[in-house]
Amino acid sequence: METTETTEDLGRRVRDLIGRMSPLGERTAESHHDVMNDLGYDSVAIVELALVLETEFELQPIDDEQAFDVVTVGDVEQLVRRLSGAGA
Amino acid sequence: MSTTTIDTTTSEITDAADAGDASLPALPTSRELYGRWEKQQWAVADVKVDRDAPVWQEMRPFIRQELLAALAELEVGEVCVVQTLSSLVDHAPSEDDRIYLATQLADEGRHVRFFQDYLSDAAGIDLEDAADGKALEAAASYGNLFEPTLRRSTARVREPGEGGTTAWYQALVQYHLITEGVLAATALRTMRTLARRAKLPALTEGLTNVTRDETRHVTYGLIAARHGVTAGHRDTIAETYLAGTRLAARVMVAPETRAVTPVLRIALRSRAAQLTGQWDMARDRMLRQLAVIGLPELRAEAARTWQSGCDQAMDEYRERWDTEHPVRRAAAA
Ligand SMILES: [Fe+2]
Ligand SMILES: [Fe+2]
Repeated sequence: METTETTEDLGRRVRDLIGRMSPLGERTAESHHDVMNDLGYDSVAIVELALVLETEFELQPIDDEQAFDVVTVGDVEQLVRRLSGAGA
Repeated sequence: MSTTTIDTTTSEITDAADAGDASLPALPTSRELYGRWEKQQWAVADVKVDRDAPVWQEMRPFIRQELLAALAELEVGEVCVVQTLSSLVDHAPSEDDRIYLATQLADEGRHVRFFQDYLSDAAGIDLEDAADGKALEAAASYGNLFEPTLRRSTARVREPGEGGTTAWYQALVQYHLITEGVLAATALRTMRTLARRAKLPALTEGLTNVTRDETRHVTYGLIAARHGVTAGHRDTIAETYLAGTRLAARVMVAPETRAVTPVLRIALRSRAAQLTGQWDMARDRMLRQLAVIGLPELRAEAARTWQSGCDQAMDEYRERWDTEHPVRRAAAA
């Protein structure tokens, strides 16, 4: 039960951050949103987002990360869960 | 002889080097470049740099850092060229060349004013402050890696009995073709994309003006170098160009600066693509210029020199920082 809450909480924080940093201006990001097409992220914004996520969630690289195809906000949530160890 | 005419009135640096495969496209004369200079005047004051200040105050740290680093490179380069051009003016091969080069000296002074005003009145940077502006300038890759070479070769032009015309052509290649035609042209293009993206109207306008001026400068370099190639200075120009190419590759890789290296692979790949996009742009310009000045046979060697310059700089990066450069790391991932 507690793990579920932590996971949900982490997802919400990731969504807030992605929404706040959208190149289209601050907006609500939902898990099903496409990061590039719905929220206007370009390659510069992706790099910026990654650097902020790294600091905020103390992300560590993992070996099978390239298996993840990051398209939606939900994909980023899942990736952060994996790399921060919260959902492992 | 090709009949291609080169439009140097546009805002991108679309000089003769962009004419691509047309061999030896027509170039204007230095007298014609003077005429363009009269028609293409602009004033730093009219750009009103402080209208960008509100955007800078709201800017997030990453974009701010990216923009400041790019601005510092350009500012340091402009300060260096304004201080070194006069020896080329004094020893110009003809009166038309001298008069044209005098206009360029005025342009470079204007560019320094623009970048310094912009850094202080829009970005809020005090260039005299050691913790702020001085540190920014000290980090500029061009200043650390290329500036000493340009200063040496332009100083040599003045030394009596030190090679005369040969020294002049060496300095011209390093100044107009490598510093302006390869490095500044690439930096300006990258910077303009960032400025538009960050919605900075004064920076966008100022950079458009600077780019128009630089287009004339690079065109002059192409005219003078092409003349030099046919007037007995082919080997000097070829040798200096290759040495400049190696150094320019090193400036682009910037091994002395710790590069942004995201942990997330999707971002690491994005970052690497941004960097290699800039390196490729610089290399392509470097190769196209060779065709325009009449040295197309040098392109294969120049391409190898560029590649080995990049490789060597990335080795240097690994030794210095004890980690791979993001471009290599992304390639390995
Ligand atoms: Fe300039
Ligand atoms: Fe210039």
